[in-house]
Amino acid sequence: MIGYILTEEQAEQVQGKFINPYCFINCVQDINDVWFFFGNEQDKETFKDSEYMWLFDLPQGEYIPKPTPNPFDETN
Amino acid sequence: MILATHGIIGSSILQVDPDWLAYYNRVIAAGGSLSTTEQNATKQLVADLKANSLWTPMKAIYPMVGASAAACAQNLKSSSFTGTFTSGWTFASTGASPNGTSAYMNTGLVTNSNLSLNSAHISYYSRTNSLSGNRFEFGSSASSAELYVCYKAFGDQYIAVNSGGSIYSPLSNSLNLLLASRINSTQLKIYKNGLTHQTLSSASTSLNSLSNYLGCMNASGIPLYFTNKQCAFASIGDGLTDTEASNFYTAVQAFQTTLSRNV
Repeated sequence: MIGYILTEEQAEQVQGKFINPYCFINCVQDINDVWFFFGNEQDKETFKDSEYMWLFDLPQGEYIPKPTPNPFDETN
Repeated sequence: MILATHGIIGSSILQVDPDWLAYYNRVIAAGGSLSTTEQNATKQLVADLKANSLWTPMKAIYPMVGASAAACAQNLKSSSFTGTFTSGWTFASTGASPNGTSAYMNTGLVTNSNLSLNSAHISYYSRTNSLSGNRFEFGSSASSAELYVCYKAFGDQYIAVNSGGSIYSPLSNSLNLLLASRINSTQLKIYKNGLTHQTLSSASTSLNSLSNYLGCMNASGIPLYFTNKQCAFASIGDGLTDTEASNFYTAVQAFQTTLSRNV
């Protein structure tokens, strides 16, 4: 999946910030701890008058998720 | 004839359910809108739930209509637990689709503040048939105080209602309504499309203190195991009996059929 790549500082700046009362930003880290933002065309419309529209101008890259630990594996 | 028509309209206006009207007003106040079909479908859903004594057990009902975050965030039952969506959702007349990577909705419904240990349910209506990946559709988890529905994760199917997670028998698909319910301290039941899929021995443990997330699991405050299944309805509330689960499914499926999005 392709997403927008953020620096650590950018991620700290935007994480959890509300665009409107019903929408907030959630960034996630990939397998290499690089931060990604995912926004689609509907999000672009939602963000258009916000101070966070610059997220859609960030460089894009392939997101590879971290391996998810199995919480039900008792050997973990 | 004209008078009769006017009479029906007048009667209809007088009989609008106040809970539905309050919901509709919340949608509009939020900047959302509902088509006439969506208005009628949600009106009928409220009527069906009330007629079957299913309104009171509900704490939050997300009909996922209106094709916007503002509309889909609204709880049909009350002004409490209005959801907040992350970016990464796609809203359509068929429901709300999370991206499976980062998207979820925070319901604001905290388990130990709003649910009972031995009477609780959680449900998710999926319009996506996919049993791959490690995905939880709705809920929260802290130690052995867990509450969630999951079609498939880590090669198994997990379910919990105020207990540790249990593995249940495989589903043939991830379509339609999956509901987990507990009405006592020793068992929980899984219902698929209103029918009992399995009864599990499961001792209730405790209620977690987490908000329940839709589209992933709130794992001790961290959103994990994001789903990619389009959500066309979700609910959380008191436990449902077999009869109530069956009637609940009938009402939800009629609602989806009215919207031409039943699967």
